[in-house]
Amino acid sequence: MDSVPFTRRLLTLLLLAALQVLFLNRICLFGYVTPLFYIWMIARFDSSMSRTGILTWAFVLGLLLDLFSATPGLNAASATLLAMFQPGLVKLFVPLDRHDVIVPGFISMGGRQFVGYLLLLTLLHHTVYFILRSIPLGDWSVLALKVVFSSLLTFILMLVAERVSVSSGQKHT
Amino acid sequence: MRSLLDFIVKHSYVFLFILLETLSLVLLFGFNDRQNEAFMTSANSMSGTLFEWRTGVEHYFGLRRENTALLEENARLRSLLYELTDSQCVETERALSSEGVIAARVIDNTVRKDDNYITIDKGKRDGIAPGMGVYSPDGVVGSVMLTGNRYSVIMPVLNGSTSISCKIKGSESFGFLEWQGGDPYVAQISDMPYHSIVGIGDTIVTTGFSSVFPENIPVGKVAGVERSSNGYTLKVKVNLAIDISDLRWVYVHSRTRDDEIDGLYKQIKE
Repeated sequence: MDSVPFTRRLLTLLLLAALQVLFLNRICLFGYVTPLFYIWMIARFDSSMSRTGILTWAFVLGLLLDLFSATPGLNAASATLLAMFQPGLVKLFVPLDRHDVIVPGFISMGGRQFVGYLLLLTLLHHTVYFILRSIPLGDWSVLALKVVFSSLLTFILMLVAERVSVSSGQKHT
Repeated sequence: MRSLLDFIVKHSYVFLFILLETLSLVLLFGFNDRQNEAFMTSANSMSGTLFEWRTGVEHYFGLRRENTALLEENARLRSLLYELTDSQCVETERALSSEGVIAARVIDNTVRKDDNYITIDKGKRDGIAPGMGVYSPDGVVGSVMLTGNRYSVIMPVLNGSTSISCKIKGSESFGFLEWQGGDPYVAQISDMPYHSIVGIGDTIVTTGFSSVFPENIPVGKVAGVERSSNGYTLKVKVNLAIDISDLRWVYVHSRTRDDEIDGLYKQIKE
């Protein structure tokens, strides 16, 4: 059923987790902004995947990050929640009458739709992530700053990643 | 019945979602007990190994600077040694044999969060125990919070729960250094007695009262003084002596608190 081989998905998961834990987690611009680029994996889940598959992959990814970031359950909770909404978000930006398999991207969805999809997806995840992380909730304005600017940074990183994967894909074909 | 089963099978992902989300939230809110956190922090040996590997690569690029800093410290210690008289030498040797110092490498470190932690590459098997003081040649770093077998997590000055007993160098006025979050170079002593004489630029050092730290380890310099709201004490703003974000090596002060003092404190609690 799965359009991407299991080993390849596992490799993506390990690579993204390593990138996040070893480098991105240490970025903290102005004391607020940390990119959570690992959700790129969830953003790229194609429309042929089963929903249980999506949820399981996202949960494992989140749990792996938690294990290495001293944040038990935090990434797992926010990634699983995002995985629950990911198929719906794709449908929101893609015309209803399409039945082919879609890997969310510039070309498959169209530029405007893809940007909208990524922005909404990132905002959803980061809002949940930072709310859970800041419990007990203190300063709402700081929380909002963290969500908005971290989302922006993650979003930019994901656009760059999409550009790179598009141009490398063109070389092969 | 049949349609109910169909419904459950078709929406099994919803149940999976509820299961996974509950599991995550239990992990998130069930691990509040700090002492049980060791597994999920970088004191567990798996992430310890990973961070150690990263640090190994990173340290390679700073070797020249690190060497210079070590040479400078060596020179400073030597000059101190030459000043000692023979009788002092005997004293010092005796003191040193009872106060062990363990050098450790910093393998993970945050400064920008509300509660920061440092991970070092020495643990229980190297003789490190929770509560021991940690400092660098530049100044006080914090105290050991958790120990794994090979790694330990340190609660640095830059953590809301840290409180370090310190005084103005050359005077006996003391208070507790705390960090309010935000700027990783500035902390505050909020309960300095009102009659103490504090000037901008004065050096703050440890008191050695608690025997967590030796006496006179640098903490920082006074950056500002104001009266606290209750009027009885002074609030002293301190520019920290160390830059925790650039910390590579630390010393752990491994003399455990005197058993006698500990016993007395226990009696008070009872």
